[in-house]
Amino acid sequence: MFRRQKERGRERQKVMSLPFVLMIFLSAILILSLLSPAYTQTKTVKAVKKETPSQQKKSGQLLPAKKVTTEKVPAQKASGPQPKVESKPAVNQAILKENKFLEEELSLAKNPQYYFVINLKDKKIELRARGMVLKSWTASRIRYSGKPVPLKVTTLAQKSALNPPKRKMIKPGETQESTAPTATKPAEPTKNKEPDSTATGTTDTFEVEALEITDMPGSYELILDNGLQISVRSKAGSKEKMKQNRELILWYAWLPIKNFLFRKKEPKPRMILYFENPRDAQGIYWAFIDGIKGIIWLP
Amino acid sequence: MKLWKLLIVVFSLLYISVVLILALAWINNLKLTAEWKTAYNFQLDPKAKISPEAQNAALKQKIQGLQPKGVYIMVDSAENKYYLKNNGQTIREGLVSTGSGVILVDPTGKRSWVFDTPKGEFFVKSKIQNPYWVKPDWAFIEEGEPIPKKMEDRIEGGVLGDYALGFGNGYFIHGTLYTRLLGRNVTHGCVRMADKDLEEVFKAARIGTRIYIY
Repeated sequence: MFRRQKERGRERQKVMSLPFVLMIFLSAILILSLLSPAYTQTKTVKAVKKETPSQQKKSGQLLPAKKVTTEKVPAQKASGPQPKVESKPAVNQAILKENKFLEEELSLAKNPQYYFVINLKDKKIELRARGMVLKSWTASRIRYSGKPVPLKVTTLAQKSALNPPKRKMIKPGETQESTAPTATKPAEPTKNKEPDSTATGTTDTFEVEALEITDMPGSYELILDNGLQISVRSKAGSKEKMKQNRELILWYAWLPIKNFLFRKKEPKPRMILYFENPRDAQGIYWAFIDGIKGIIWLP
Repeated sequence: MKLWKLLIVVFSLLYISVVLILALAWINNLKLTAEWKTAYNFQLDPKAKISPEAQNAALKQKIQGLQPKGVYIMVDSAENKYYLKNNGQTIREGLVSTGSGVILVDPTGKRSWVFDTPKGEFFVKSKIQNPYWVKPDWAFIEEGEPIPKKMEDRIEGGVLGDYALGFGNGYFIHGTLYTRLLGRNVTHGCVRMADKDLEEVFKAARIGTRIYIY
């Protein structure tokens, strides 16, 4: 009786442990398949396919990462002993990458319009003109995911915010009562009320009918023509913090799952820039005019 | 097999599956992020006669060559600040007033004006001492006054300060009577400066001096 019961118990244990073993086995296979070079190769080749041949010709230097490795593999097989060439090309890659960045920047610096450079390594967003930095902001954190964006000049296609700033309209004749007499009128009689009539203390306390940096949103999206969606976030108010926490969960839980489950589709490039001071985010919204060009730079 | 045991198995399987998917998703995510650094390889230009290091140095020199030499003016319209620079060094800075960004529509609805300070690179095109203001149409429309037909009726003196620097399309860097509004966006597009700052900028700037407004 006892023996039979013991045997049954063992059988049950075996039955129960079978799914676990199967799961571990399956997971091992999945991990191995993900880490295998074949998987990475298909991913990069896909990314390269998006690049038009004319663009590659134009840049002259942009080549798929795996194309180089596939060219090397047969040579290594044929030659027998494999030479160690890892260290020198790694240095060269950094230089060549910088070379490409400088070429792109030069094309921007030749124009009179100012442009932006987002340095992902230093977490810096710089506004430049003719190669010199006009203004820079430092993000507290930068997150990026999805299909990598090529090292090329890109253009701001769209700025979107939940509460975009609205320009105020002047009603003609309204300022007549509030402006000074003709003799003391300002150079350009503004729609703002006369300083003395609105002064309540320091300069900053004047109420003026204008679109100022403080009217700019602290959280918004910048959509670039290369498909990259940049979310700019700054810490302001409990509502915003709640929203950011929700976004954080989505970024670390949902986005990886989505990218994994639909990995045959190319994941859209996404970036989030976080600023401690809302004025920094507002300043970027102010400075990033429609059609501004720039480069995303990851040294 | 009892029901509770079956439930344990099911929940364990579910738990393992979720953890597994999360782990795999994370590995995939890390790989995707890492690809930003390594997605594209750059190859040496076979036709290039100089080393990549020398190419970089040459490119840096070219970019540096585009930077303004000598004196130039930078205006930050967001912070309403100006910087007078000489070979990259700030020699003077202060508050300014720039465009309010408001819209004025002609009561007839045929014309409208957006009072923005233009952004980009400009050059000093004119230097005027004791300037007077030729009031444009919008100045009368804004005040609800009829637009004068005679030129004399448009001229107003003593409102632009002692100096004015024209940088194109009717935009000027000039003085103001309302110094208390410096640091705010209140103008119709011009850049207003305090008297002392204006004097220094006027003295330092030449025709052709570059102005960067951002």
